[in-house]
Amino acid sequence: MTEPVITARAFFERARAGQLTAVRCGSCGELAIPPKELCPACHARAWQPVPLVGEGTIASFTVIRVAPRAHAADAPYAIAVVKLQEGVSILGRIVDIPLDKVAVGLPVRFRPLGAQDQTSVGFGPLG
Amino acid sequence: MRRVAVIGVGVTKFGLHDRTSAELFADAAGDALTDAGIPASAVQALYYGNVVGGETEHQLHTGPQAASVLGIPSVPTTRFETACASSHAAFRHAVMEIGAGVSDVILVGGAERVLNVSTAESTEYFAYASDAVWEQPLGLTFPGVFALIARAHMEKYGTTEAQMAAVAVKNHRHGALNPKAQFQTQITIDQVLRSAYVADPLKLFDCCPFSDGGAAVVLASEEVARRHRKPVWVLASAAASDWMLLGDKRDLARVGPTDVDVVELHDCFTIAEIVATEGLGLFEPGAGGRAAETGRTSLGGEVPVNPSGGLKAKGHPIGATGAAQIAEIVTQLRGEAGPRQVDGARTGLTHTLGGNTATVLVSLFGRD
Repeated sequence: MTEPVITARAFFERARAGQLTAVRCGSCGELAIPPKELCPACHARAWQPVPLVGEGTIASFTVIRVAPRAHAADAPYAIAVVKLQEGVSILGRIVDIPLDKVAVGLPVRFRPLGAQDQTSVGFGPLG
Repeated sequence: MRRVAVIGVGVTKFGLHDRTSAELFADAAGDALTDAGIPASAVQALYYGNVVGGETEHQLHTGPQAASVLGIPSVPTTRFETACASSHAAFRHAVMEIGAGVSDVILVGGAERVLNVSTAESTEYFAYASDAVWEQPLGLTFPGVFALIARAHMEKYGTTEAQMAAVAVKNHRHGALNPKAQFQTQITIDQVLRSAYVADPLKLFDCCPFSDGGAAVVLASEEVARRHRKPVWVLASAAASDWMLLGDKRDLARVGPTDVDVVELHDCFTIAEIVATEGLGLFEPGAGGRAAETGRTSLGGEVPVNPSGGLKAKGHPIGATGAAQIAEIVTQLRGEAGPRQVDGARTGLTHTLGGNTATVLVSLFGRD
């Protein structure tokens, strides 16, 4: 029996409701996001879902100017690696922050993005 | 493990071609067999790299199809797909098979055709090598992945856009000496810095091109290789995922970074070369940008990197790249590289990335 939170579908259902979720290993305490089947640290299969605060800072970023066809209308847009308060990092689209204000160290807050029935990870201003 | 040698190499010119990828591979493979001086009937297996054949040529099962076009249809053939590292992965498996005593002669190669579709299409197809759930929906591209690495490297070590530009200028200077290179023209730092941003901080001239092309190498056991001209020995071939360090692998060959005379590494973007020279232990972490800028990795420098012009100038037909890098190192160790020859090269290294660096292959080569 698979714990629902470890599926991508469950992750994005929670994300759509505004909740960013990681998983913590019940054996060694490792925190992981996105969720995985086995703990990459100890290979146990004993995850518990952990709701995250959804706040972090930009660790690295880029502004995509030549985009894949499906995203061409959005270009230019920023994508960042965000280091979350809890210590794990995740990739997300930056929204509602002018491109020239996006910077390493900038505090951001999670927000779900919806496009073509697909929820994806976004980050907007903290304030 | 038995000793394994490369006894033949062949590479097409890289760039725009009006031929299928299988034809490009067959062209290179014919040259490799001629170079080895070995009949096609001696080949016991073909391991083949091809990535986007399904998308750009509507062709899957590309291994046996390439074998058929070459004219060795009954040879057991497998296609390897590890994105841009595909034919290097194929090479490693051939080394293991000959090393284990299963086969004596194996043909390894790869080919790609992408210039028959638009840049928008090829950008999308290449992005299929990133994660379809977590990365593609964000609109992440391959320049974007390496731009994230570049920004982090700049923040941590103070690496500059001019240092990245120095890698592009150096590889174009080398490519101008390679008649097989897609770009044989020199460029300036200023031209790189003035080129348009593709994914900040990477600009057009920080990026390798889309390319068509094929490459092949013939591998043989020591017993067979001794009967042929100038065997180049495979000292080690290692693979990892999410891991760029030569690190522990050097023990396989008892070779350290300071023993390497010439390197062909995966400069899909200028920052990738800087990071790889650090990860391989050629320079300290953070010192790769300055090393490029001060000529330490140029022909004539202490450790020439990408004398072929690299992916940046030679071109990057992704299925062929690993085999083409190996072909260059073999040519260098034979002393047959002409105006781009690294004098007295005895030990060489190839390094190939696949996808978001999710695949890394490193092989070491030496001569008698």
